[in-house]
Amino acid sequence: MSTLLTTRPPDRGWRLFVRTIVARAYPRLIGQQREKVWIFFETFLPFLATVGYIYVYRAIQAPEDYIGFVVMGGAMTAFWLNVIWAMASQLYWEKESGNLALYIMAPNSLMAILLGMALGGMLATCLRALVITVLGTLLFGISFAVSSYFQLFAVFVLTMAALYGLGMLLASLFLLWGREAWQIATALQEPVYFISGFYFPVKSFGFAVALAASVLPLTLGMDAMRQLVFASGPSLGFLSVEIEIAILSMLAVVFIAAAKFWLDFMERKAIEEGTLTDRRR
Amino acid sequence: MFKTFSRSFFPAAWLGWQIESNWTDPFLFLAFSIAKPIASVLILVFMYNAVSQAGSDSPVYSYIYLGNAFYIYVTEVMAGASFSILDDRERYRSLKYIYIAPVSIPIYLFGRAVARFTTGTIAVVITLAAGVLFFGVPFNPLGVDWPMFFAALALGIVCLAFMGILIGTWTLIIRTEPWFIGEATAAALYLFSGAVFPLSILPAWLQPIGFLLPMTYWLELLRRALLGPGAAAFPTLSAFSNAELFGILMLITIGFSIVALIAYRYFDRRAREEGMIDAQSNF
Amino acid sequence: MSDQPAIKTENLGRIYKIRGAKRGEARQRVALADVNLEVPRGELFGLLGPNGAGKTTLIKILTTLLAPSTGRAFVAGYDVARQPQEVRPRINMVSGGESSGYGLLTVRENLWMFGQFYGLDTKTTYARIDELLQIVGLADRARTKTSDLSTGLRQKMNIVRGFLTDPEVIFLDEPTLGLDVGASRDIRHFVRRWMDDRPSRTVLLTTHYMVEADELCDRVAIINNGRVLACDSPANLKRRLQREAIFKLEVSPLRNGALAAFEQLPGVRKVVHSPQDGRSELDLILEADEALGNVVTALNTHGAHILNLQKREPTLEDVFVDLVGMSMTEAEKAGEQELMGG
Repeated sequence: MSTLLTTRPPDRGWRLFVRTIVARAYPRLIGQQREKVWIFFETFLPFLATVGYIYVYRAIQAPEDYIGFVVMGGAMTAFWLNVIWAMASQLYWEKESGNLALYIMAPNSLMAILLGMALGGMLATCLRALVITVLGTLLFGISFAVSSYFQLFAVFVLTMAALYGLGMLLASLFLLWGREAWQIATALQEPVYFISGFYFPVKSFGFAVALAASVLPLTLGMDAMRQLVFASGPSLGFLSVEIEIAILSMLAVVFIAAAKFWLDFMERKAIEEGTLTDRRR
Repeated sequence: MFKTFSRSFFPAAWLGWQIESNWTDPFLFLAFSIAKPIASVLILVFMYNAVSQAGSDSPVYSYIYLGNAFYIYVTEVMAGASFSILDDRERYRSLKYIYIAPVSIPIYLFGRAVARFTTGTIAVVITLAAGVLFFGVPFNPLGVDWPMFFAALALGIVCLAFMGILIGTWTLIIRTEPWFIGEATAAALYLFSGAVFPLSILPAWLQPIGFLLPMTYWLELLRRALLGPGAAAFPTLSAFSNAELFGILMLITIGFSIVALIAYRYFDRRAREEGMIDAQSNF
Repeated sequence: MSDQPAIKTENLGRIYKIRGAKRGEARQRVALADVNLEVPRGELFGLLGPNGAGKTTLIKILTTLLAPSTGRAFVAGYDVARQPQEVRPRINMVSGGESSGYGLLTVRENLWMFGQFYGLDTKTTYARIDELLQIVGLADRARTKTSDLSTGLRQKMNIVRGFLTDPEVIFLDEPTLGLDVGASRDIRHFVRRWMDDRPSRTVLLTTHYMVEADELCDRVAIINNGRVLACDSPANLKRRLQREAIFKLEVSPLRNGALAAFEQLPGVRKVVHSPQDGRSELDLILEADEALGNVVTALNTHGAHILNLQKREPTLEDVFVDLVGMSMTEAEKAGEQELMGG
């Protein structure tokens, strides 16, 4: 065992933090792409579901921009599904499979583990969302009229930061639950598609309800992106893009900070109560 | 034969009900049962209202509303059968024990599907009640052809269960994480089944898929039973009589039952060859 | 901190609250009580006890996964409850019967990932992985997906994961649980070799396999119902029974009540009865050889015939029986019944 005796000291501090993020993102980016079945389940089937909504608009003779709204909503469902299934319920799943105890016992930060999961999941999902967008655009001849690429990029990045911040917060909350986690994750699907206006402009809710729905990052994220890429977007927008960018920035900070707070709290509580390695199937 | 059926079906239906219902108190269970279906129907109501000026009196509105409400069964029953394989194998790690017991796996899956039918019924009833009370869906209980309604419902559920078994047996050989494979398949088939828009809207080359799916005929029968002549929102299936629709649905059900059993034999053999019965993916 | 003992506990205790306890039922369960241990660096220390004795609870506390209810615990000189950030870089753990990592990653990738969590640079990580995989005989499976590994191979990977970070103190919680004889032996050899190569490292091993404790450990603590009953080297523990005579008897099946009668005989300290197929096995701890005569007479009285009689050296199992008054299997059953009865 010669190598074991001659090594440089392991990294600590921010270097360890970065190493942990990269290492935890790795299974998401590399491992999950190995089973090609994802192309079918995570791209083709959601795409067909999206097309279903497109034809509803066709059946009621909606203006063509609405078709574009649906395609964008369909692409964004990939992110929401990733957040609830691969972020929110993931720590619970890690607990069940025995990994969580190993993560906590290691000198890294759990926050870095969550950030790694988020980063890996987000990048892997970008690919899925891109496929849905490209297919939808080509098949249904959607025309874009982008008013500001810079703002579009800012909105997307901020939406992702806030969304995955929310995912990290949910992940630590889900640790509280046992097998309920599954039901809760399932129940978070359609209600969020509805409240965040995945398939119709959120302006239809009226000001108060739309404002309340804006707590979910995808609500304002999609509203702003629709305003920025479709010709009729601005007339159907809820708030101005600038205000939406400001709110999204706040949401990102609040969710990530809340995630850190909750995660520390949950770790402490779990260590005190001994529920960390307790399996409740 | 009967013994195999009873020891496969009843424990599975009981287990499925327990898993679906006893994770929380009845109040929360009800809240979750309502949230999902109501949200999915509200998406359509808002889409309709954002664009159409016709309001809830239009037959198109009832067509969309009822199609969506009953489609809940499709998701529930198909997911009920398919999800249980993964759930038992990966989460409860009990699939291997069920496998070596003297039960029939397809009948076991059928039992799990029926359990989801029960929880699905709660969602469907709530959605329909909300439609009548709050969203202006026209409904007259005295005008409903109840025998036809229940006959169509039962036949359709059996057919859906066979489709669920088909997907469920497929998941025997899937190693990755398709937790929502049943749901995703149901959502994808939504496109072809004329649930919320008529098949004639689809491009001509996609329409045959819709005509091969049982949901197309099943939903039409349910709409006709509930609304009578008011069901005729789109002319796509108007050429078929009720008896013809029943006949087609019956034939498709028999077809799926055969396909499901053949698929089970095939995937079962492959799963055992590949050692997937007690596999643990730890994704 | 290198002059501090590797592990030290002071009156350590842990109480679990019982969720959903009904009126009249116990609301808490004592998993550990007043545990005082000191393990110097360089020792391979064993915790021996039946399932439910408190071994895993102790390991969880020492690995910072569980907070103690009373007392304190130190690993590598640091308080596990107050300074977990100091403890964690210095330890690692391997639990038997558990998998780690992700099925879709290969053995090498999973191990690399865990190495990163400890801040190891990639070059060192891969060098160590390759070396350790070679030692445990898993080198040819380095690029196999973990989901394709058998239980035994998965546990070998788990062992490599634990040793990969070259911990000052490593906790092995039933590392050979559920493994076949060959795989268990490989793992025991590996642990012994690692200790021989790295004299300053410490291993805390829990097991309910007596042979494992006897073969591997420098010292052993015998634990039951959350309490440490004895702590010494296996040889010294067995020496406690040197004045006693230990016999193993195979007799024709015993009738009800016979066993109770044997325990009352003069000179008989403990009798452990294990019914076998068509016969009974008795392990006798006697004060002296002479007491055997009483047992033989009593067997005749109860109509039992001796099929085989053997005098043997004391084992750690005998030490356990002597301390607890029952065998490990019986202690496990008693613990389960106590839990069920609230």
